[in-house]
Amino acid sequence: MTVAVHDSHILEGVPRSRSVFQRNLNLIRELSITAFKLKYTGSALGYVWSLVKPLMLFGIMLLVFSILLKAGLGQWEFPIQLLVAIVAWTFFTEATTNAMNAIAGSGDLIRKAYFPRWILVASSMTSALLTFTINTALVLIVTFALGQLDLTWLSLLAILYYLELVVLILGLSLLLSSLFVFFRDLGHIWEIVSLVLFYGSAVVIPFQTVWDHSKKLAYLAGVNPIAQIITDLRHVLIDPAKVRSMASFIGPLEVVPILLTIGIFLLGFAVFHRLTPRFAESL
Amino acid sequence: MKPVVEVSNLRKRFRLPLDRSTTLKYRVTHWRSASRYRDLIALRDISFDVPAGQFLGVAGPNGCGKSTLLKILCRIYEADSGYARVNGEFSAFLELGVGFNPELTARENVFLGGAMLGLTRAQLRGKIDEVFAFAELEDFAEQKLKNFSSGMQVRLAFSVAILAETDLLVMDEVLAVGDASFQEKCFDTFSRYKREGKTIVLVSHDLGALEEYCDRVLLLNRGEIIADGPAAEVTSTYHRMIADHALAAERDMPQELRRADPTQWGSRAIELVSLSLLDAGGRSTSRFDTGSAMTLDMHVLAHSEVGDFVCGLAIRRADGMLLAGTNTFLDHVTVTSHAPGESISIRYAIDSLPLLAGGYIIQVVLQDVTGSHRYDFADPAATFHINNMGGHIGIVEMHGRWQVAQEQDVRSSAIPQTAG
Repeated sequence: MTVAVHDSHILEGVPRSRSVFQRNLNLIRELSITAFKLKYTGSALGYVWSLVKPLMLFGIMLLVFSILLKAGLGQWEFPIQLLVAIVAWTFFTEATTNAMNAIAGSGDLIRKAYFPRWILVASSMTSALLTFTINTALVLIVTFALGQLDLTWLSLLAILYYLELVVLILGLSLLLSSLFVFFRDLGHIWEIVSLVLFYGSAVVIPFQTVWDHSKKLAYLAGVNPIAQIITDLRHVLIDPAKVRSMASFIGPLEVVPILLTIGIFLLGFAVFHRLTPRFAESL
Repeated sequence: MKPVVEVSNLRKRFRLPLDRSTTLKYRVTHWRSASRYRDLIALRDISFDVPAGQFLGVAGPNGCGKSTLLKILCRIYEADSGYARVNGEFSAFLELGVGFNPELTARENVFLGGAMLGLTRAQLRGKIDEVFAFAELEDFAEQKLKNFSSGMQVRLAFSVAILAETDLLVMDEVLAVGDASFQEKCFDTFSRYKREGKTIVLVSHDLGALEEYCDRVLLLNRGEIIADGPAAEVTSTYHRMIADHALAAERDMPQELRRADPTQWGSRAIELVSLSLLDAGGRSTSRFDTGSAMTLDMHVLAHSEVGDFVCGLAIRRADGMLLAGTNTFLDHVTVTSHAPGESISIRYAIDSLPLLAGGYIIQVVLQDVTGSHRYDFADPAATFHINNMGGHIGIVEMHGRWQVAQEQDVRSSAIPQTAG
């Protein structure tokens, strides 16, 4: 008896890349592309929704503050301040909310396949970052075209502040994603904390307004990283002459939010590292 | 040369919480008792090495720790103490298609599944046609996975799983996937791995597959290695273990319980009252040797007059595989019940048991001559054990004879022939 051998009968293996870094990077890319794709397939407007949501928030806040409350915010370029803040804030909430479920929602993967677990957090963050990057680019292009932005060499500092935001979110994501596996109340707690942060970080009002209202309150709000990042982003992007930086308000205390960001990142890293071996058994 | 797998003094304990305390309210209100749990020791003290090129099987009853061992090898679980080290690249087949997404097309899933294995998009691009050809899914590359039949999904998953070149393959009972023709491809792939000297660790309940493919089998029970050796030896130990277990269970079972056993069903118009296994001397026993005589001595009680009926019996291996079966109808023997309350003795004599070492189960069925109505079904009616005498392997004794004829030629003439 002769056995016919098709060429489709044998599938030779491909050698894997030696570099673990490259493998991990590739996995992050594939996972975040998948998440990004899945989020927008099937809906008619697709990606447009990611733009509509922050714009809606922007529109409502603009209406409430500048028209209904007649807060006299005009002198600090209120609309553009609001827009820069809301895009950054949307990234923050979307990324942390996604991250909450990054581990707990991947039980099947974690129980049945091995890969470094932080990749799940990194890829959930990356897909939020992708949305954020596109939105930021769009907002910057449109507002720059409208003459709302006064871009100078100083504006390049924005990259550093965005980086600070990413580090902060990464730290929080590591912390939230790992703790949520063992402690499901965290989802609700985080919603409340987010709400407090939203109003406590002067997202919807210029920091100057808080400062003029109460110095004590301004110091309290100013040491939180979100307020500092948003205020400094406004400073370097909009008009350094008109919109003050955080350092100009709280002085050397500006290091506090930066240290806090680094602290949260290190804490998140440590907690995640500590809890990783227990994920597979607990999910 | 370093062994591919080194496992040393591996221990693993699971803490199963008695109450699930994952909410804040619970933690606060039960803070004193928050640490209530039950310990489950999955692995007690496991040590073994797997040299390069070995095909190692891991067997054992459910809950023996084999899956835990596999998951520690694949770094999914962390050991409490001791270590499991893999020297080289490994691929784990704990389940096929892990990470696949039904909303993506087959092609996108290949990239995703490949990335899980550590392959990049660039590496996969040149390979993707081959993958679809191997999976026999050339025309479906752009279809969403959710529109695939389960067979197609499994074919794709298997093809992706073997995509990465690897030193060690860790598999958990995925041998039988897809339809018969694809199964053959899977087995061909495993045979190829074996030829190429890849190291494989396979966990399976299928003792036949273990015996066929493995060089060596570990038998686990309650988190300990209780046997470690050539496949044939260890699987026969396992058969014995199962049979002993079944016997122990039967001894412990009170007479009344056995009657109420749900595995004995049928209308009970006639009933199997007892079955004894007799050896050549007529003594009741459950241990036999290969080639010895065995007589099944059955007592049947008729509760009503049913006329002619059929008595059938089947012998199965401990894992359920049917080895032999017959009935009175097939063998042209008539059994009749004439009146209620009548006791009938039926004997089936086997002159020479053709079975090799292991545990076996006997099932007895009583039914009407058309086979449509069942009176009684005893499963198992009895269990027995064939003693290990060493020598032949497998399930059945072939009773074959060797014949060797040697022709005188240049080479063999140098060796002096001694006539027996």
